[in-house]
Amino acid sequence: MTDRDLKQPFAGLRVADFAWVGVGPTVSKYLADHGAEVIRIESVTYPESLRRVGPFVNDTPGIDNSGYYANFNGSKLGMSVNLKHPRGPELARRLVAECDIVTESFTPGTMAKFGLDYESLRAIRPDLLMISMPLYGQTGPWAPYMGYGHVLQAASGYNHLTGWPDGPPIGTGIAYTDFLVPHFAAIALIAALDYRRRTGVGQYIDFGQFDAAVHGLGTAILDWTANGHEQTRMGNRDPEAAPHGAYRCKDGRYVVVACFTEKHWDGFRAALGRPEWCDLERMRRKWQRLNEQKEIDRHVGFWFEDNTWDPSAPEPPTPDDAPDIPPVQRFTTDEVVAHFQNFGVPAGVVKSPEAMHADPQLRHRGHYWRLDHPVMGERTYDGPAFRLSKTPGRLSKAAPLLGEDNEYVYRELVGLSEEEFIELLADGAFE
Amino acid sequence: MPAVPPVPLPHPGGPLAGYRVLDFADEKGQLCARLLAELGADVIKVEPREGDPTRLNGPFFRGETAPNTSLWWWAMNAGKRSITCELRLEAGRDLIHRLIPYADLVIETNAPGTAAEKGLDYATLEALNPGLILVSITNFGQTGPYKDWLATDIVGSAMGGHMQLNGDAEHGPVRTLAPQAYAQVNAQACVGAMTALYARGVNGGIGQHVDASMQEAMANAMDNAQATWDISHVNFTGPGLRRNNRGPVSPRYLFETRDGWVACLQAGGLIGPNSGPIIDWLAESGEANGLDAPAWRARLAEPLPLTQAECALVEETMAAFCRKRGKLDLVAQAQARAAGWAPVFSPGEIVESEQLAERDYWVRVRHEDIGESFIYPGAPYLLSETPWMQRGRAPLPGEHNEQVYGELLGLDEVAVRKLRMKMVL
Repeated sequence: MTDRDLKQPFAGLRVADFAWVGVGPTVSKYLADHGAEVIRIESVTYPESLRRVGPFVNDTPGIDNSGYYANFNGSKLGMSVNLKHPRGPELARRLVAECDIVTESFTPGTMAKFGLDYESLRAIRPDLLMISMPLYGQTGPWAPYMGYGHVLQAASGYNHLTGWPDGPPIGTGIAYTDFLVPHFAAIALIAALDYRRRTGVGQYIDFGQFDAAVHGLGTAILDWTANGHEQTRMGNRDPEAAPHGAYRCKDGRYVVVACFTEKHWDGFRAALGRPEWCDLERMRRKWQRLNEQKEIDRHVGFWFEDNTWDPSAPEPPTPDDAPDIPPVQRFTTDEVVAHFQNFGVPAGVVKSPEAMHADPQLRHRGHYWRLDHPVMGERTYDGPAFRLSKTPGRLSKAAPLLGEDNEYVYRELVGLSEEEFIELLADGAFE
Repeated sequence: MPAVPPVPLPHPGGPLAGYRVLDFADEKGQLCARLLAELGADVIKVEPREGDPTRLNGPFFRGETAPNTSLWWWAMNAGKRSITCELRLEAGRDLIHRLIPYADLVIETNAPGTAAEKGLDYATLEALNPGLILVSITNFGQTGPYKDWLATDIVGSAMGGHMQLNGDAEHGPVRTLAPQAYAQVNAQACVGAMTALYARGVNGGIGQHVDASMQEAMANAMDNAQATWDISHVNFTGPGLRRNNRGPVSPRYLFETRDGWVACLQAGGLIGPNSGPIIDWLAESGEANGLDAPAWRARLAEPLPLTQAECALVEETMAAFCRKRGKLDLVAQAQARAAGWAPVFSPGEIVESEQLAERDYWVRVRHEDIGESFIYPGAPYLLSETPWMQRGRAPLPGEHNEQVYGELLGLDEVAVRKLRMKMVL
């Protein structure tokens, strides 16, 4: 069999995607990018929140103009239904009958209100695989609680672990858990899908975003339960490495450096040009350096200030009577990273979104896809972080317009006649 | 019945029961393999003779550095079997190659181009088992200008664009202490592994090479910052206590309470359609500070950025209100008013959380070698037919040598002892 004959992994599977905002759409996007027909089921009356949040092209808010929504919904079809229309729930159920998978992320009980809970749907599609992904799962006192990734990162420890020592728990600047927990949900969903492929048995997955987020905390939970030690934010330091930090370069950008091993430290000293402070007795062993982080950071901070330069800043004038000494070698920010790497020290630039777009590695990898959207024009979409050598993912199209594929979905999948379609359209069933 | 249950506990009811995984991974792939074990796969951790280097990762149980006290090791390798094998020796590579036909997935994290030295490159493994899925997890991917660059978690966070979004203007960018570049690439590579496994099932048993990048995994954790540069040419930076909003910032959403901090998203800024019920709440308590005036209500209901002066008044009012109250009480009352607030929890508070207790979340893991049990995080997902299961503590180095080499390769005790004497195991 040649690679050309290979099927995309999820080709032939159809997904009714009722999920919205950050988490759900990322889960179904994995399926869509690898061949499944994913149908975003949305409402005109209660539009998906991400459609209402920017960035908007030309700074013009518009339901089909949000780059936020677009990035997480490429490769999918779009349909709209008004579940509060007397025939809305029935139309949705008829679509589910033609689907293999249902995804949703409403507050528990919402799907049941429309007869779209797992038990009801299983009656019409016995091998259905369904996943519910609200913040806190289907049970427990917080099950009805609302929120977004911005607050779930607080509940699940990420604020506590992000910030400056003795400073407030600032957390990440983003809705962090929205970009962590979907991967966990996708793992469970594809594992259950593989089980279904082999046995024909579908099932229901109760996914609580909180429950999954706790698995991203590294050793913080065990350190508490086994040692009674509460890990807490410590800026850019690390309990296992010194030096370990982000240092400001002359152009205002930051460079990170991490020395976990003696080899890293030896390379680091050499990269700095073997300054005297590195040879102090109290810098000899790692446990000693861990005690001297404040002093190390001070020295390293000065080094970056003295040894980097900003090519865009004007050169200071050289006085005519300047003594004839050789110029100090200075590095641009990019050069200084390469310099540390050459000495075997893990180092990198803190990249801005702009720098990410220009990053030669990401360009080489084809991480960003350019896709043409009827309203937004050609825009940049993130691809998966992995490449499958024989059945690679493919972002097949830009994000759907709201209800873009209604005619296909209602006529060919739900099975409405042309008259019914027009009648229901006029009656607001697709609003 | 043996007095001590076997480690790992059998898990025939998991969705991945029947699959076998060989795990050669460092920090970038151990969690990925653990997640597969908890879904039923037989995961065999392959360690060098002296034990896996990550056994030296802190913190340590009671602060004592020993081969079996690394909490990193415990957390990331629970429920796996362990064999030792010296891949620097040809005999070791041969031995592993004899196991490859019995494996469905191999997870490795060698620097690009160096897996061949250990006999773990795709061409070699594919020849031994065409159905095998090789998952290679690296800092920047298998190819490209940065492929040979060294990285740890903070480098992944920085070069992946995520770290720039955290922190504040005064101190610069900041990393999350719990390593997120590692967590992200583990989870995303696991999705790749599962996708390849599914692809094998629908394509007549073909294996393939999954090439995952830590930098790209972090690039996928940039919220709408990538799109915002693409569309509006605005670079987000760390917003401190605020949200990463474009242009004029909205009021902060984190406030100090009597007993910690609270995150008050929609109404923390008192902005948008949810502001009404929160203003009512402030007014009922007599602490609205004038914000309950009709003009203010109308202003705050608009989803438009506030001026600095407006922000200051909103923040001052909210700060005074929150400071007097407990965080759990604030959250419960805000939620009753349809506002999605949450408390800022520490790891200890997460362990004490009523919500997770009610979901029967935590599992107690027996470390019979220490004579104690410890609480571990429980099911990240509840599958109705094929449940997740914690399968016991992480293995000791080579704990399952006799079992694995015996079961799969038919080596008897004498043969295993001989390999040990030849320094292969």
